[in-house]
Amino acid sequence: MNSMLTLILALAVLMVLVGGHQGLRSFFGLMVNAIVLLVSVILMAGGFNPVIVGVIAAVVILAATIFLSSADVQVAGPAFVSALIVMFALVAVIIGVLTISHTAGFGAEDGEELEGMSTALGVSFPAIAMAAGLISTLGAVAEAAIAVAAGINELDVERDWQGILQMGREIIGTAINTLFFGFFGGFAGLFIWFAQLKYPLWMVLNDKIFVGELLDVLFSVIAVILTVPVTSWVVRQRTLGARKNIK
Amino acid sequence: MPKGLVALVTKKRIMIILVAGIAAILATVTFLRHDAFLYHTPVAQVTAIVKVTKTSEVDSYNNRDQQIHQVVRVRMLNTNRRGQTIRMGNDYVRSQALDFPLRPGQQVFLTKSKDGYQLNDMKRDAVLGGLLVATIVLLILFAGKHALVTMVSIALNTAVFFWGVHYELSLQDRGPWILVGVLAVVFTILTVLFVIGVRPVAVAISLSTLLATGLAVALGYGLMQATGYKGIHLETVKYVTQNPQLIFFAQVVIGSLGAVLDETSDISVAVFQLPAGGKERFMAGMAIGRAVMGPLIAVLFMIFMADTFIETVMWLRNNNTIAYTVSWVMGLGFTQSLISAFGIVLAVPITSGLAALLGRRHAA
Repeated sequence: MNSMLTLILALAVLMVLVGGHQGLRSFFGLMVNAIVLLVSVILMAGGFNPVIVGVIAAVVILAATIFLSSADVQVAGPAFVSALIVMFALVAVIIGVLTISHTAGFGAEDGEELEGMSTALGVSFPAIAMAAGLISTLGAVAEAAIAVAAGINELDVERDWQGILQMGREIIGTAINTLFFGFFGGFAGLFIWFAQLKYPLWMVLNDKIFVGELLDVLFSVIAVILTVPVTSWVVRQRTLGARKNIK
Repeated sequence: MPKGLVALVTKKRIMIILVAGIAAILATVTFLRHDAFLYHTPVAQVTAIVKVTKTSEVDSYNNRDQQIHQVVRVRMLNTNRRGQTIRMGNDYVRSQALDFPLRPGQQVFLTKSKDGYQLNDMKRDAVLGGLLVATIVLLILFAGKHALVTMVSIALNTAVFFWGVHYELSLQDRGPWILVGVLAVVFTILTVLFVIGVRPVAVAISLSTLLATGLAVALGYGLMQATGYKGIHLETVKYVTQNPQLIFFAQVVIGSLGAVLDETSDISVAVFQLPAGGKERFMAGMAIGRAVMGPLIAVLFMIFMADTFIETVMWLRNNNTIAYTVSWVMGLGFTQSLISAFGIVLAVPITSGLAALLGRRHAA
């Protein structure tokens, strides 16, 4: 049997065993995300504007991740609204930074992957890099938005504001850890390459692939930092607005 | 203190951080744009685009693109020709898969040959430094004291990681495998000490993190061995010439460690605060874990999959079928996400159990 299918099935079984109904929903969300990613990358290769495809995919991915992994609408609703606000702010940051960084496409270290390939392909690699940068932040945005919205729902937005701020700080701290380990885990091979060929530090700090990857991680970190106050604000507005209506 | 005053003090503090922060970002970018004296390689700044010529081209798969030749004037920023202006050429393809256009103001590295200077690469330290400082300013603004703890813990982990990478090169046989295990333990303990401190709950977090990650790798390894790695191409691990299997599993372990740690600390801290009996504590831990596992898997999934985008597009535009491309290019990132997900899911019952057990003993 195909190894990949076996791994997917094993994950489904594990998630249902551990998470029951909610586990199944989360697994379903993951599969939806996989299909959305595949379709969007095919559309990008098919000549559609990568940034527009990326933004549409981002909205669908955020919706699937947030609504399928959180059963409580009181949590999912504000989390989704906040995630969208953060995402649109991010699009501006990512387009601005990647326009001046020139980190799109392939680097000198990618030589082997390019063998026998045509690279004058008529699709904009900077635009694909922007879409990829945006999409790589989405999991972190969704996770932080759900954590904040769920946490605030257990506290009182008016009396416990200090407690909410404290919780937000802790969420930022752990999320950054997750992102940096993810980064090292994605690129251990590249670091070994640098070490093997004894790259001097200045070369690493200007290297196309290294800088491109680190910029992506920083986008995610910025996204998480922004998600916490934005979500707190959205939940607060929503609760205070609802209270006013009752009065 | 009256409420209004508290708001005023914090507002004043925020203003100070903001002004100092913007000053720090500007100072960093300004310095990094004037640091050419630190480099031995020739550095120059583009001052003007003199001429642009474009030729259309079509490759064998009927992809239409444009080859563009720029003649630019650059001013040398270091070496003994500092201050002099030179003319040079830059060729790039409109889609910018390998190269990029030059614009006035941009700083670049040059290489010297007997025909004069050629473009080597873009100087990117100013963009990177600017965004890094901007991120740190935001972190201080919104995370306060936590920002410092987070930064120190990441700096230490980075140092350990680089030491590990260098040390790995000198090891043979089973050495690298043992190193990955040792690194996982060091990363876990370091991070837990910084985030949680020396508390009984730290033991529950560290133990369950290592157990869950170990079990996930064992399960992934076992399943792939049993099915003969069919459809999985470990040799496509990027930038690796030797021992791709080792690097793959090292990437799985390190990549998922942060997410698993995040989860195990959420569960353990909450369970340790509960006064109820063992079973209630276990169930409470499971409930928290169930809610966070989906989004946490998504975090890693998005990071690993987004990295495959450019190569996937290139393969598809080179007339490879979707199935072939998915298997050879996106497959490994997907596999890494799946095995990391095993760890995130397994951590839920393991942490709930350990925290319920250890917490009770501590309370007694």
